Amino acid sequence: MNNYTLSSQFYIVLYNGECKESHLPDRVCYHDGIITFCNISPVEVQIIYLLDKHQNMNVSLEIEKQTEVNIIESRILSLGSKLDRKIFIKEDAIVHLFGENDSLDGEIVEDIHLLDNALCQYGYAELSDGNFKGVYHYYLDGEGSEAKVRMAILSKQNEDKHYEVLIQHNKPHTYGQMDNYGVVKDEGKLVIDGIGTITKGQSGSASHQNNRIMVFDEKCKASANPFLYIDEYDVKASHAAGVGKMDEEHLYYLQSRGLTKKQAMQLITYGYLRPVIEVIDNDMLKERFEKALSKVGE
Amino acid sequence: MSTLIIKDLHVEVGDKEILKGVNLTINGGEVHALMGPNGNGKSTLLSTIMGHPKYKVTQGTMTLDGQDLLTMEVDERARAGLFLGLQYPQEIPGITNSDFLRAAMNSRRDSPISLFQFIKALDKNIDDLNMDENLAHRYLNEGFSGGEKKRNEILQMKLLEPSIALLDEIDSGLDIDALHVVSDAINSMRNDDFGCIMVSHYERMFELVKPTHVHILVSGKIVENGGYELVEKIDNEGYEWIKEKGIEIDNEEDFNHGIILGTCGKKEQLNNE
Repeated sequence: MNNYTLSSQFYIVLYNGECKESHLPDRVCYHDGIITFCNISPVEVQIIYLLDKHQNMNVSLEIEKQTEVNIIESRILSLGSKLDRKIFIKEDAIVHLFGENDSLDGEIVEDIHLLDNALCQYGYAELSDGNFKGVYHYYLDGEGSEAKVRMAILSKQNEDKHYEVLIQHNKPHTYGQMDNYGVVKDEGKLVIDGIGTITKGQSGSASHQNNRIMVFDEKCKASANPFLYIDEYDVKASHAAGVGKMDEEHLYYLQSRGLTKKQAMQLITYGYLRPVIEVIDNDMLKERFEKALSKVGE
Repeated sequence: MSTLIIKDLHVEVGDKEILKGVNLTINGGEVHALMGPNGNGKSTLLSTIMGHPKYKVTQGTMTLDGQDLLTMEVDERARAGLFLGLQYPQEIPGITNSDFLRAAMNSRRDSPISLFQFIKALDKNIDDLNMDENLAHRYLNEGFSGGEKKRNEILQMKLLEPSIALLDEIDSGLDIDALHVVSDAINSMRNDDFGCIMVSHYERMFELVKPTHVHILVSGKIVENGGYELVEKIDNEGYEWIKEKGIEIDNEEDFNHGIILGTCGKKEQLNNE
């Protein structure tokens, strides 16, 4: 526990609400629980959140106007701890975020607000060991703002995981898309609630969601629940949800080329969850994601 | 040199018996043509040899170099030297061709192939098979045309170097140029360490890849064995003459239409005639 690897040039490590170590680029600063990004050219910053047992931490990220940021995050939460986070993405700012979850039995509540023409692309790799609750809410508060969310979740052994993703459209011409993919094995439990809300008057908006869970074993419990609350006529909305087994013909095909069943399952799962790493182009992340996914074959 | 021996093979799908006592021996260096009307058990035979879970062997034996195939899993059979080129290869999203091919090659090696060696082998074969250069980065068979899928099967065969290959209608969906590319690739593999069973409806395929043995499978049994002259006879006469020998044919509506000459014929065309 509490092991982390710093792999980017710029980083900040937040431990139980305090800054433990940091090396931040020009015009990016941390003060009293708030990280502010005013960088002129695009930067990549790694953020590590470390929480001991039963600790709570509140953090805000403020991405200033027209700023472009790539953020690579590791969340390392201990039993009973909670991370409460807010992100404000201001006008015309662009944020690509990749979050790895290496927690044990924790909870993360996240509110992400986007102003006019802001863009947020977020990939969540939720392959942690233990129970977990994630509440990720996006508010499209500015016209033309856009949120694209991808999740890759693994629930195994007797882990109990619950994720709620909300994209709420509070302004016209906003775009929200979520693709939540899960894999459940052993006696794992996983619930994904995908919620798309378009409030009255937000014409020209689009809300799309896709929730899929692949189950491996008979004792798995899985539920993919799509919700769409639309209070405006001139919008586009779609949802898909499904829970099913791995395609036997896919397994057979790979096995017929010599891969063991375990290798074949691992490869299919990797293929199924890999879109999450496409949010940020980074070979190191791909390698780490692949390594974390080897849990599937155990 | 490998030997595949099939004795008195009976196979059921659901409750229906499809194969009713097939005997066949294939040695390295031989190419066996397996012909017969649609729905009489050719694909069933190949899938059973590979070990598809849908097919239940109720009687008989299958051995590869003395190893009992019936006690082996699909992947064990593959690593023992079998390869099945599928009529309808699966499309698997998210898995790139190169990830898949490398995993498949490594599955039969003690130490993993080096990236350099792998890329070299892949590039050469992609070039030989006249395939899309981006193939390595595309998802496995996803969005491939029918012909590309078949060439991808041959690419896998060339990289995996099986001792016995089972090719199920590998020529269907290929245009004439692709047919030449594929048949050249199969011919290039012919040697004493490579045996092959090919299912095809078309003389053209067997003209390009000359079989050493020809078998006709009807109603779950091999009813005729011979050489190339059998291919020519079927090409000229269809399967009507089989009936005159007092042999019943399953799914008779299919065979009355005879055989389409050329290479681009499809089952749909046969059925529509």
